[in-house]
Amino acid sequence: MTPALLIEAAVKAVALLACLLVTVLYVVWLERKVLGHMQDRIGPDRVGPFGLLQTIADALKLFLKEDMIPTQVDKVVYFIAPAIPIVTALIAMSVIPFGDSIQLFGQTIPLHVTDVNVAILFLLATTSMGVYGIVLGGWASNSKYPLLGGLRSSAQMISYELAQGIALVGVVMMTGTLSLSEMVRQQEHLWFVVPQFFAFWIYMICAVAETNRAPFDLPEAESELVAGFHTEYSSMKWSFYFLGEYANMIVVSAVAICVFLGGWRGPFLPPAAWFLIKLALFLFCYIWLRATFPRLRYDQLMAFGWKVLLPASLLNLAVTGVVLVVAG
Amino acid sequence: MVVSILFGLFTVMAITCALGTVFHRNPVHCALFLVGVLLSMSGMFIILNAPFIAAIQVLVYAGAIMVLFLFVLMMLNVRGETPLLTPGATKGFGILFGIVALAELIWIVLAPGIEEWRPGPAPNLPADFGSPAAIGRILYTTWLYPFEITSILLLIAVIGAVVLSRRKFE
Repeated sequence: MTPALLIEAAVKAVALLACLLVTVLYVVWLERKVLGHMQDRIGPDRVGPFGLLQTIADALKLFLKEDMIPTQVDKVVYFIAPAIPIVTALIAMSVIPFGDSIQLFGQTIPLHVTDVNVAILFLLATTSMGVYGIVLGGWASNSKYPLLGGLRSSAQMISYELAQGIALVGVVMMTGTLSLSEMVRQQEHLWFVVPQFFAFWIYMICAVAETNRAPFDLPEAESELVAGFHTEYSSMKWSFYFLGEYANMIVVSAVAICVFLGGWRGPFLPPAAWFLIKLALFLFCYIWLRATFPRLRYDQLMAFGWKVLLPASLLNLAVTGVVLVVAG
Repeated sequence: MVVSILFGLFTVMAITCALGTVFHRNPVHCALFLVGVLLSMSGMFIILNAPFIAAIQVLVYAGAIMVLFLFVLMMLNVRGETPLLTPGATKGFGILFGIVALAELIWIVLAPGIEEWRPGPAPNLPADFGSPAAIGRILYTTWLYPFEITSILLLIAVIGAVVLSRRKFE
């Protein structure tokens, strides 16, 4: 590895980090605006034009807030836990290709931080580590509601991870690769959402459950668990959980775009623009879901994951295999 | 050079975490140290040109099995040690296993052919070394029977767990 390559990788990593954090801030703004309009309200409109600076003001407020630490917490774990979801999300983003290579300073620079040949597994591995943030936060708080929230979420996330991974295997079988860039390359004529229609829906349902978003936001069901795993967290530690949730939404949407929706491919506009348009569409759907559906009951959630989604994803796998063999 | 530094880093991390797993009093902290061991081992697999094994290591062991471990530890809420054996029996087993492990170590070090294991320049690897396709090919040809027997073993374990958890208690 030459110094030039090292610098290139470092610059890309820092740029990705900055872009992602700014995007997260504006996803929060988008969520409040869209939810507001769907509920016949206006949403934030006081700070800046259209309330655009509202989340920045909120972030500043959270920085300056008093950080309450309950006396009986497990100090080390309590401090580490909130960082885990956002750190794993940021690591996972490093293998997402945002666009085709660009020419800069006479060099060809691919628009991803790194291209591992097992990108899909890398993504599943890092996102599966994210569950630790919630489990440990719930346990370290040494309080009954966070503990129950943490236990629920670990069960929920492990159950839905299975179907999510198996849904992606269908596309892996079609392309014969685990690399995301190669998958995007093979979608030149046909987006995989067409042949792998069911896998796409299974993946999206699991993705919503994985990120603990409504209607699967059981770990923090207010009416039963106060605020779930982050009940005892305040100030910046709480906002780390908050940022982690949105960063994870962006990661699972980016994976869905790369695997099923042709990645950065699209007519007329530059590749990176298409990627952002698709990403915005996914995030809008997330918010739309939250405004539309009531929360599931816990046993309904587990039954749905194990008795509907998992068999469906296995069936999809079997059918894909048969079709691939028959079609040669 | 970079590889040596990374290897040193992962080694120190793995050994520190392993010691933490054994010596820490709080079971949840022990489990977390074990996650640290698994992650540093995954880093070593990447150094050894086996990214597939590295990813699987994190996905299966750190991401799923250890979370279930934690799940049980948190449910039972075992704070501090709850001894399974009497102190004398624990010490006896400890000494026994210590002697066995030491004997194994001496046997390995003194065994003929140890010279071949000395670190040297990396051998020329085939282009697809460690790729999912290469591993799959070996797994489904050379090691097909062990692989299938393992899967049957896991199936038996799953069925056993279902039967045990469905049994009604009088």
